Amino acid sequence: MHIFIIEDEQLIRQELKILLENALYQVTAPPAFASVTHVTQQVLDTAPDLVLLDINLPDISGFDICTQIRRHMDVPIIFLTSRMSPMDELNGLLKGGDDYITKPYQPPLLLARIAAVLKRTQGMASREITLFTRNDVSLDIAKCCLSRKEQNVDLTKNEMKILHLLFQHPGTFVSRMDLIEYLWENRIFIDDNTLSVHVAKLREKLKSIGVEDFIETKRGMGYRI
Amino acid sequence: MKLTDFLRDKEMLLLLHLVCMCLAAAFLRLTGYSRTNTILFLTLWLLLLAAWLLVTFVRRRKFFREAQRILDKVDQRYLLSELLPDSIRLEDRLYREMLHRSNKSCIERIRQIEEKQRDYKEYIESWVHEIKAPITGIALLCNNRRGIAAQSTISQNVESSGQTASETASVSKTDYLTISLENQKIENYVDMVLYYARSEEVYKDYLIRETSLEDVIYEILDKNHLLLIQNHVQADVNCQSTVYTDRKWVAFILNQILQNSVKYRSENPLLRIRAKRKDNSVLCIFEDNGIGIREEDLSRIFDKGFTGSNGRDNGRSTGMGLYLCKKLCDRLGIGLFAESEYGVGTKLYLEFPVSSYIKDVREARV
Repeated sequence: MHIFIIEDEQLIRQELKILLENALYQVTAPPAFASVTHVTQQVLDTAPDLVLLDINLPDISGFDICTQIRRHMDVPIIFLTSRMSPMDELNGLLKGGDDYITKPYQPPLLLARIAAVLKRTQGMASREITLFTRNDVSLDIAKCCLSRKEQNVDLTKNEMKILHLLFQHPGTFVSRMDLIEYLWENRIFIDDNTLSVHVAKLREKLKSIGVEDFIETKRGMGYRI
Repeated sequence: MKLTDFLRDKEMLLLLHLVCMCLAAAFLRLTGYSRTNTILFLTLWLLLLAAWLLVTFVRRRKFFREAQRILDKVDQRYLLSELLPDSIRLEDRLYREMLHRSNKSCIERIRQIEEKQRDYKEYIESWVHEIKAPITGIALLCNNRRGIAAQSTISQNVESSGQTASETASVSKTDYLTISLENQKIENYVDMVLYYARSEEVYKDYLIRETSLEDVIYEILDKNHLLLIQNHVQADVNCQSTVYTDRKWVAFILNQILQNSVKYRSENPLLRIRAKRKDNSVLCIFEDNGIGIREEDLSRIFDKGFTGSNGRDNGRSTGMGLYLCKKLCDRLGIGLFAESEYGVGTKLYLEFPVSSYIKDVREARV
């Protein structure tokens, strides 16, 4: 997936690029915006899958660029802006924008909305894996259960999310802070102590299907499977 | 205007007439006129004087009543001089001219102040938009660096388990976290400025739409997740209602309430956010188990600049957050009430009206 960033603030452009590259997108972010036609030409030449467009650019307006791009191609456009009046929002959507995100944005939220727009416009199937396996133990996201050989045990939503993150990083320690942040992103709003309780319960469930010491704890580092 | 007041005003004139009448009577009597003729003459004089006074009084009263009526009717009273009824009297015309000039300078002054205020407000708004760019930059940078710092901690640890290296890396990770949190505080204060500047003119800047309360609450929890996790807050959300309101403003109001809950938390903070459907409204209940509000403070928490004993103990309260919330709620037609038990927790209720018209339309469609 190729994303084209039109943003005049150097710091934001650079950090946005890093953020998106970390999320495995290919990114083009030109540093200069001479004129509407120039920018539009660059977009046309690159033929990206998505355009992130700032509205307040020096001397030119993002709305004009959007109109120009729309004349030539149907690429999805997300407006990123610090303007936030309903008129601007309406204007953005009327000019053919697909979404409208106001600064300052939360990185996870930004990524989620980019993914949503891409999914909608490309009909892209979610690439999420629903079955993970490590050391005989497998986690079935769809069924929400944990199994080893013929033995099964059901998981609660919270326990499954904890395991989900651990299974995504096999062999590395995941810090408690990262785990809690991941849970909050998935709308499970719990604190440190409750996390410990959930992990303890998970260990018991693992024991019930005959797995011991599957989740390793290291003080100050976090959990590892 | 009372008759007695009018007569008292004409005191000197009456005195003059009295003196003249005495002199005239004496003169007539001395020049040989009969007593009856003199009395007749004086009676005629008195009658004429009375008639003249009465007519003047009635006309003056009419004039001032008209002026009073105009004054009561117009909302910009300083415009009176433009609206006064015509008068043939010299005094009226002179006063009117003076009033006119004095008002003109007053109006000019008001215009100037209005213009200054508008300029200032526009500057504040554009400043807020400008400051958001660096805030975004810092937020993104911290987020990215925090990720990298975390990875390097793990890899260094796996490779050499070098204590010093991992320590420096983990220190910088918490530093980024601290910066992120402080940055978010800046963002919050900046938002307060913006909403304060706009609160006078809510009607210019809202878009009433069907809004899912749950989505708004998830949005603010997401936005504040670092702060909440840092303070070991747990949240329990169950609000599946939709309301008709402006999403942005409601998000701001709920965010302020959330900030207060975090600021005045106690052990094991827990937020419970519920929505309840009532006949003509949707009630959103925002409950925390924080330190609560003293009974004597409760009625004043929405006052401007009120910090209460909690704020004084905390030393960080500005007394603006809830004041702004109340103001915005009033403009949006949302009811806002608080209930609290000191030492146990606080409940804030937001009551969103459900228009019977919308309800009727919906039912008709079903």
